[in-house]
Amino acid sequence: MRVNPLPNPDLLTAIEHTQQEVQTDELQISSGLSVNVPSDDPAAAALLAQNADQISQTDQFQRSLGSVQGEIQNADSSLNSVITSLQQAITLGTEGANGTVNDADRESIAVQVQGIQSQLLSLANLSYQGNYVFSGTATQTTPYVLDANSSSGVLYQGNTGVNSITLGDNYTQQTNLPGSQIFSAPGGDVFQSIQDLILGLQSGNTSSIGAAVTEISNASDHVNAQAVFYGNALNQLTSQSTYLSTESTQLSQQENTEGAADLPAVISNLTTAQTSLQATLEAIAQTSQTNLFSFLR
Amino acid sequence: MSSLNASLASALSGLSADQGAIATTTNNVANVNTPGYSRQVPVLVSSDPVELDPLTIGTGVTLQSIESIRDPLLEAQIQQQSQGQGQYSTLASALQQTQVSFTSSTGDIGTEISNFFDSVNQLSTNPSDLSLRQAVLTAAGNLATSFNNTANTLTQQQTSLDLNLVQTVGQINQLSGQIAQLNNQISNLTNLGESAGSFIDQRQQAIDQLSSLVNVSVIPSDNSLTLTTGNGSPLVVGQQAFQLQTQVEPSGLHDITSQGNDITSQITSGQLGGTLQARDQQIAALKGQLDTLAAGLATAVNTVQANGFDLNGVAGTNLFNPPPAGVTGAAASLSVAITNPSLIAASSDGTAGSNGNAQALYALSGQGIIAGQSPADYYSGVVFNVGNDASNASAEQSASALVLQQLNDQRSSVSGVSLDEEAANLVQYQNAYNASAQVITTINDLLYTTINMTTLTG
Repeated sequence: MRVNPLPNPDLLTAIEHTQQEVQTDELQISSGLSVNVPSDDPAAAALLAQNADQISQTDQFQRSLGSVQGEIQNADSSLNSVITSLQQAITLGTEGANGTVNDADRESIAVQVQGIQSQLLSLANLSYQGNYVFSGTATQTTPYVLDANSSSGVLYQGNTGVNSITLGDNYTQQTNLPGSQIFSAPGGDVFQSIQDLILGLQSGNTSSIGAAVTEISNASDHVNAQAVFYGNALNQLTSQSTYLSTESTQLSQQENTEGAADLPAVISNLTTAQTSLQATLEAIAQTSQTNLFSFLR
Repeated sequence: MSSLNASLASALSGLSADQGAIATTTNNVANVNTPGYSRQVPVLVSSDPVELDPLTIGTGVTLQSIESIRDPLLEAQIQQQSQGQGQYSTLASALQQTQVSFTSSTGDIGTEISNFFDSVNQLSTNPSDLSLRQAVLTAAGNLATSFNNTANTLTQQQTSLDLNLVQTVGQINQLSGQIAQLNNQISNLTNLGESAGSFIDQRQQAIDQLSSLVNVSVIPSDNSLTLTTGNGSPLVVGQQAFQLQTQVEPSGLHDITSQGNDITSQITSGQLGGTLQARDQQIAALKGQLDTLAAGLATAVNTVQANGFDLNGVAGTNLFNPPPAGVTGAAASLSVAITNPSLIAASSDGTAGSNGNAQALYALSGQGIIAGQSPADYYSGVVFNVGNDASNASAEQSASALVLQQLNDQRSSVSGVSLDEEAANLVQYQNAYNASAQVITTINDLLYTTINMTTLTG
């Protein structure tokens, strides 16, 4: 059979292919990515797009978690202070209920309890980053204000709303308890019990004082039980944060598996391609040099 | 009776035949690099002998014709393959450009969708914070811009493909005209009984070029041929060329007509076919998917907005301007409807501190609101489609390029000029010429001898 006498187009195509390979390898090496455009590996490109979304989402969960963590920590420590104050009130009340104490002393104890009352008011009106923590979702409204017409001496102005926030694929965290549920629960009303103690001390009625001390003790137990919510929330946030870190690492690894260039393989390919390019060039240089005409004289 | 004069005539026929053969070789060597040239060979036949009973004596050689060596079957296959090659190389290069918009970067739609929902999640942590609200508005604006830019890039690409289409139609018309003219020349020469080899080469070259532009069928007839495209619309009939026309459609893009009939849908291969496929199918489908995504997202977000309350306790209004009915153009026109961050309806109970509706807004990120898929999943499907289309077109292009290369090699092995072969032929014809010349010298000597002999005896 007659041989193709014009091999140049073939050789040029070979050079083109090899140069393309060299280019692809060089791009992979310089970017460090095996998927530089979707057509490099459509399925991997789609996975990487989803992966990028999940990484972004996971990072956001961490940031949001950090934001609510501060508020919950503040709420938790505020409630612990409330419990401490109530314990002080109980101590003072027990002292005032003692028959040996005179009216003048009771009066001064009452003043001390009034101090505790205003402390409690300020604890219940805790604000964090411009938001009241214990007014339900009415975070711009002061939860408790003094009110002479109220038997407890204060009025709750917040609502009973609660907020929740998504901090994981299947994890939603409630972030607050309404103040009315913590401080004004029937049978555990903080301000009512303190008000009763003050009135008892001022009237000098030891049995009223004793009853008020029991009320305060009940209120303290109630607040303690409510504080458990915040303690649990903090624990859950900590473990969720750990989980998110692990997930973030896994997602990065997955991104690496799908999208990172296999550098040793790419470099070895590049070397092969360069060698073959060199060989093709030499082949062209040699074959095109001679034909029969060169020998005819 | 045989005579010295007859031998002289015989030798002369050798000289002229060899001259013709050398001329053919020279022409081959001169055209060694001419695209589409088929090597020519001299067809030598011995001249009709004379009968001198009982002898039959030859009268030399005749250069009967100069024949171009070509394989019509191979050439038909090359035409066929050129059509596929033209189609896929155009399609592949168009889609390579398209997919750049879908490469993950800081501004691609996927990233902006993530950023938008991330900003909503952050707003949930402190729904009354104006700077967090502003961040949601900014992210929504970036998302809209990303949709706009990507959709506009696709539209621009369609427009530039459309420009290519008009230019390609011009090239097709030019080639049709050339082929009709060549048909004329070939038929004239053939009618005169002359060889039209080099015109046939030129015509074949033009048909190959035409094949890479559009799907054509070749119907050979006596000394001429007919070319049609699509479902039989004529391009060339004998010596007459039929121009294709372009016509602007309401969409602003061009359709192709032949003799007043719209044949756009019949153009299936060649560069023109590839251009149409990219413009009207792949890129159009991609725009449709972006529109579905943009419209679905905007509608879902607006619906959730309407269920909540803004910072002032007023029922929420649209965050995005509503997408056009029928969703076409939704991606290009997506825009944010509000500029006041307090209008974001994060609250579910009317208080500033409630994040219930922001949570509902965030929940959209995981809901099947776009054709049953979450926005991020739907977008990743779009990325897959773009990549898959581009990768398929490239693979088809490489495959058809390889086949075309092989066919061209085969044609070259049949029709290509080999300088070695031509050198050998040249030597051969030169020797034959020398020999014939030598014969003439010898006959000259013989005649001289004869003439002198007459003188001596006279």
